This record gives sequence, C-alpha cells and structure tokens, in this order.
Amino acid sequence: MDVQRLIDSFLTRLHDTWRVYVHELRRVFRDSGVMLIFFVAGLAYPILYNIIYIKNIVRDVEVAVVDMSASQSSREFVFRFDATPEVCVSHTCATMDEAKALLKSQKVHGILYIPADYETVLVTGLETAHISLYCDMSSFLYMKNVYTAANMVMLDYMNRIQVDRYEAVNIGEEMSWALVQAVPFEAVALFNPSGGYGSFLVPAILVLIVFQTLFFGINMLHGTAREENTEVYILPGRKRRASVFRLLVGRGAAYFVLYMAIGAFGMILVPVIFDLPHLALVGDMLRFMVPFLLASVYFSIFLASFQRERETGMVTMLFSSLIFFFVSGFSWPWESMNPYWKAFGYILPSTWGMHGYLHMQSMGATLATTAREYNMLWLLALIYFLACVLLYGYKAWHYDAAARREQVKREQMLRQRWEEGRKRIEERHEKGRLFIEQHLPDKRL
Amino acid sequence: MTLSGQIQNVLRVSKREVKMLLVRPVYIFSTIFVMFFSIFFFLTLFDTGSPEKMPIAVVDMDCSSISRRVVHELNATQSVDVVAVTHTFEEARVLMQQGRVYAFVVIPERFYADLASFKRPEVVFYMNNVYTLGSNTASKQLLTVMTLASGAFQREVLRKKGLPDYLIMKRLQPVAIDGHFVGNPSSNYLVYLVGILLPGILGLIVLMITIYSIGSELKWKTSRDWLHAAQGSITRAMIGKLLPHVVFYCVFGVMINIILVRYMHFPVNGSFVWLNVGMMAYVLAMQSMAVIIVGLIPILRDALSVGALYGMLSFSLSGFTFPKMGMLTVLQSLTNIFPLRHYYLVYVNEVLFGNPVSQSLPSIAILLSFVGLQMLVVRRLHSAMIYQYFPKD
Repeated sequence: MDVQRLIDSFLTRLHDTWRVYVHELRRVFRDSGVMLIFFVAGLAYPILYNIIYIKNIVRDVEVAVVDMSASQSSREFVFRFDATPEVCVSHTCATMDEAKALLKSQKVHGILYIPADYETVLVTGLETAHISLYCDMSSFLYMKNVYTAANMVMLDYMNRIQVDRYEAVNIGEEMSWALVQAVPFEAVALFNPSGGYGSFLVPAILVLIVFQTLFFGINMLHGTAREENTEVYILPGRKRRASVFRLLVGRGAAYFVLYMAIGAFGMILVPVIFDLPHLALVGDMLRFMVPFLLASVYFSIFLASFQRERETGMVTMLFSSLIFFFVSGFSWPWESMNPYWKAFGYILPSTWGMHGYLHMQSMGATLATTAREYNMLWLLALIYFLACVLLYGYKAWHYDAAARREQVKREQMLRQRWEEGRKRIEERHEKGRLFIEQHLPDKRL
Repeated sequence: MTLSGQIQNVLRVSKREVKMLLVRPVYIFSTIFVMFFSIFFFLTLFDTGSPEKMPIAVVDMDCSSISRRVVHELNATQSVDVVAVTHTFEEARVLMQQGRVYAFVVIPERFYADLASFKRPEVVFYMNNVYTLGSNTASKQLLTVMTLASGAFQREVLRKKGLPDYLIMKRLQPVAIDGHFVGNPSSNYLVYLVGILLPGILGLIVLMITIYSIGSELKWKTSRDWLHAAQGSITRAMIGKLLPHVVFYCVFGVMINIILVRYMHFPVNGSFVWLNVGMMAYVLAMQSMAVIIVGLIPILRDALSVGALYGMLSFSLSGFTFPKMGMLTVLQSLTNIFPLRHYYLVYVNEVLFGNPVSQSLPSIAILLSFVGLQMLVVRRLHSAMIYQYFPKD
C-alpha cells in the first residue's frame, strides 16, 4: 500500500519534471530573441573569433635602423636582425631624428641604433659596445617582437665574439665554447609551440562564449516570463505552488541538453575545424562539459531571478564578459592577482571551465589530471543549485496559501498601480495620436 | 519657430528624458555602478604592474650540490618561485598540465661531473605558452639566471688564469642592448591595457543605453508622446533626448582620463586636453552608431543583440592587443567602423608619442564624421516613431 503510494508520488514528480522540461524547451524555440542568442551567437561567435585571429602570429614588424658605425660587424648585426622572423628592416636612416619621426608616425615599430664607436669598442675589447633599441609601446606584441629579435641576435653574436677572442689567443674551439657557454640551454615550448596569439586567446574565448550566451539567453527567458506575468515559480498550468526541485531540475535539464549540443560545437568541433589545439579525448571533454554546463546553468538561473525585464540583462551585464575574462587568471596570472579578486574568480564557473578546458585541449591533460577543475565545477554546480533551491523556495513561499490573503491585497494594489500606469500610457498614446492627426495630416495612422 | 523657442523645446524633451532616466533603476545601475565597478576592478586587479613570483619546477636528475645551488639561485630572484623539485620529467610535465607551474628546468644527470670536465652539459627549459604572460616572465628570468651562471663559470676560470676582475667583466659582455620603451618607460602593463579597456567599457555603456532608451520608447509605444514633446520635429526630439546622455558620458570619459593620469600616473607625452577632445568625439561617435543600429532595426531586443555583438567585437578589432597588421586584409579595413580604433590612435598619439596635435586630428575628424552618418537613418526612425509598426518582441 505504502509502496504503491510512494511509486505513484515518484511517477507524478517525474511526470511534472518532464512537463517543465518540455515547456521550457518550447519557450526557447518560440522566442526568436533567445534563439538568436543560443543558436546564432552561440554558433557564429566561435567562428568569428577564429577568423579575426586566423593569422595567429605577428611576423615581420617593420623596424628602422640607424647605423652610425657603418662597419662590417654592424652590418652583420643588422643582417642577422633582419633575418629573424619577428622583424624586418624596412627603413635605413641616416640620422636618429629621421628614424624617430618614422616611429612617431607608426611607419616603423622599433629603432635599432648602432653608435659610431661600435666596431672600435669591439675590436679593442676593453669596453662593452652598446646598441640602443627603441620600441613602439602602442601594442604589447610590437614590443615583444622587436625586443626578442634583438636579444636573440645579441646573445648569439656575443657568444661568437667571445669564442673568436679566445681562439685568437690559441685556446681551441671546443675549449672556447666550454668557457663561453659552459651550460648551453635550449628553450622548448611544450604547449602552444608556435607561441601564436590566436592559439593562445581563442580557446579561452570559446569557453567564455558558451558561458556568456547561456547566461544572456537564460536572463532573457526569465525576464520575458516576468514581463508577461506568467508565473515563474509555479509549475506550468497549475494554480498552486509546487516543488521547487521539479521546476529547477526540469528547467536546468532543458538548457543543459541544448547546450551539450551547442557547447560540443564550440568546444570540440570548432577547434578541429580551425586547427586550434585539440588534444583531449572527445569522451573526456564531454564528461568535463557536464559539470561545467550544470554549474553555468544554475549560476545563470540564480542571477536571472533578479531580472524583471526582457532586455535589461543584456544592458546591465554586457560588461561582465570582460570582467569574467580577466578575473579568470588566464591572461593575467593568478599569482599576481589581488586575493579578493582571486576569490571572486574562484566562484565563477567560467574560471574553472576555461582552465580545465585549456589543460585538456591545449595541454593534453587527461580528465584525471584535471581533477581539481572538474571537482570544483561539481562543487559550484551543487552550490548554485542549492542557492537556486533557496531562492525559488523563498519566492514560492510567497505564493503559498498561508500567505495568500496578504498576497491578494498586494496583488490588488499592484493591479491598481498597473492600471494607472496603463492609463497614463494610453493617455500619452491618445495625445500623440491627436497631435499627429492635427499637425501631420498627411501621415495617416 | 524662433531660435529661443527651439532651444526651449529641446530642453523640454531633455527634461522628459532626465525624468525617465531617474525613474528606471536599470539606467543608474548600468551606467554609474558598471563604470565605477570597472574602474575599481581594472585598477586593483593588476596590483603589481608586472607579474612576480611565477611558480616553476626543477627536474633535478643530478642531485649534486651545484644543482641544488641552481634551485637556490632561482628562488632568490623576483620573477620566479621554485614550487617543486622533482626527479623525473613526467612529474614535472603533469604539474604543468595541472596548471601549477608555468615552466620547468631539466638539469641532466652527471651535470656537475660534465661541467667540471668542460663537457658542456645541456640544460633545457620547458615552458607553457598556453599561459603566455606567466611563461614569458618565467622563461625570461630563467634565461637571465642561466646566462649569469655561464658567466660566473667563465669568471672563475679566468680568475684562476690571473686576469683582473675589471677586465673580466668587459670580456663577459662584449655587446649589450639598451632598451628604450617609447612613451611607457617602465613597460607598465596597465598603460597598454587599461587606457583603452576603460574607454571601451564606457563605449559599451553608451551604445547599449542609447539603444535601450530609444528602443524602449518604441517598445512601450511612447514614441508619439516623445515626438509630441518635441512638437513634431524629429531633429529636436533626437537632440533633446541625446543631450543629457552626451553630457553625462563626456563627464565620465574625462573622469576616466583624469583618474588614469592624476592618480595612476600614466605618462602623458602629448596634450591632455586633446586626449579629452578625442574622448568626447569617441562618445559622440559611439552614440551615433547606437542611433544607426536602432534606426536600422527599430526592435529593441534585436537592436540590443546587434549592439552587443558590435560592441564586443570592437575590443578585438580596434587592434590594441593584437595589432591590425596581423589581421586579414578584409578585417583591416573593417577596423575603421569601430570608433574605439580611432580613439586608440588618438590615445597612442597623445599619451605615448606626444606628437603635435595635427597627427591626432584625422582620427578625431573621422570620429566626428560618424555623427553625420546618423542622418541616414533618421527618416526611418521617424516613421517607426509615428506608425509604431515594428513588432514589440
């Protein structure tokens, strides 16, 4: 007997959840605005960002050379500098003023200045020969290219000069090298070996796009429901409040199922199409997406509950994309971040999603190695789900029978205010209409 | 109508607008709160100005006194922090894949023995370019330490040969490069980023709020009343509506620059006044882009979506992080439709280079020409206001 009732009750709950799920999906597909965010933005943004950064690397930054020494060694230095992939010598200037004018008008992004006494100093070998380098600071990448190229050439060149000097005093070549560079070193980029800007930035952006489109879409759905006065906190088609769990599980499942597809496109397929790093196993990546999407869904549902109007979410929260990006500790390292902002980043699903995704896709970590991010996402999913339960429970309580009388009174008052407001707006409509009829008779309404 | 009458009329529309702005919390939240939060965020996030104490690992296969000294030397530097010493490559690789270290150094077996017998043992750095800034900082520091280590070894040998110290030092470094960072001598990360990011966020606010304030008149069908307040003139209606916004955002823009220059001590090599003229032109340009978007698509929700797309793209396409020369040719010309690009040029000119103002004027002129562009959509917007025939949502 009891077992029968238990089963019945369970089946009712399951059925309710299913109805919430179907209802929510229907709302998504009927709302062109949400469809635009989920399907057009969610699918087009990943492609768009790939196209912007498709060249990936900045090569051959234009540099001017002022060679006052005009000697063999200075020419050789310039030649080697020009030969690096990072820069190309586009102008050779006679004076520093000329070169500075080029730099200031951004025709070149760096100046290499070799002083007149360069070769003399090198030959006598008693002093250090100085070469001056001026970098355009308008973009980080210009500075990096110019500086790296000059340093590489300088280090290489310096070692050879030293070896030549030792050889000149009859120390054998091998011994000279052992003196000059006792410990040869080699730098190997283990991941993102090209060091490209696109292959650095775009993978993180892909995760952020999934997170943000989900966030804005859910915001819009919720705002629409509030605006149309359809009840957000009770089951569809019912008058009385019902279980918060059925609502949240059904709704969450609808977004989750949609985003497993959209997310798989952005996070798994797009990297393959555009040849971004995609080292993770597809199965691992899909398993990682489960807690990431769940955490993002309940994070968004929680914040969307404070939304009253369809469009305001986008107006107020658009800037958050930049905040979420910088607070994640991806471009600016965590270790140098203010502890408060670090903590703020910790509670965002996007932070852990980005790091876990990068570790798996760009760095080939397995799901077991990514346990920290994976577990944090499950924890966040749980926390935000519970936060939603509390919030929905609180709101649903307002609709409860015990509070009904008060509710009726409040609703009456609100309705009265709403009527007044509508009357005011109608008056304005009427005034506007009359005005147009009187003053612009040719524009018929 | 007389001129004073016209002005009075415009002011009446402005008064109506200000009333609406004060009533809706969304306006106050998404302008004042968002702007101050962003300023606070970006000025406190990059607390140190440049990254410090990046975690690295050392794979010590040698386990000799000299390899332990390398770890000590590395720990003593400002940029890196040895958080783990492992004995196999695998362990260090996993640490890197977990994001715990940005780079690691492999000290090979028999390192000490080879070094002592002049066999040149090779040291390899592995760095993780997925986190560019961290790995760059770490690898730069590692390179310096290793160069110094080689130098120290050479110095010891030369000393034993009896050369005086002052001659050794010159010998150790025959060539040196003096770097000059034009306009940003300390190579401060904030100057690269925040000087454009904050105006960029201001631009987003201008864009979205302008679209919202015009679009919601259409959505709630109060546009005829708006036109009524302007006595039927679309010009006065637009000027009156946008005037309070312009004043407000220009004040914001100048405030951003004052904060950056006065309190964050950004270098200004050119004219601060012209920088702010550029800022105001940028605000006007952003606003007229908003009018164009909402004029072409007089449906609030769609206009906002398009505005969001356009606004977010302007960060990538203005070329202040990834330079314009690295983009596809099609995109290079596309950068011109983003006012942030032109403001960036003014910023570079006035803050970094300090060129005469004639170099900034073309960019400012382009920004101002955006204002003229909105004339193209005014007629369409006018009829949308009268007939209200676009779907509400």
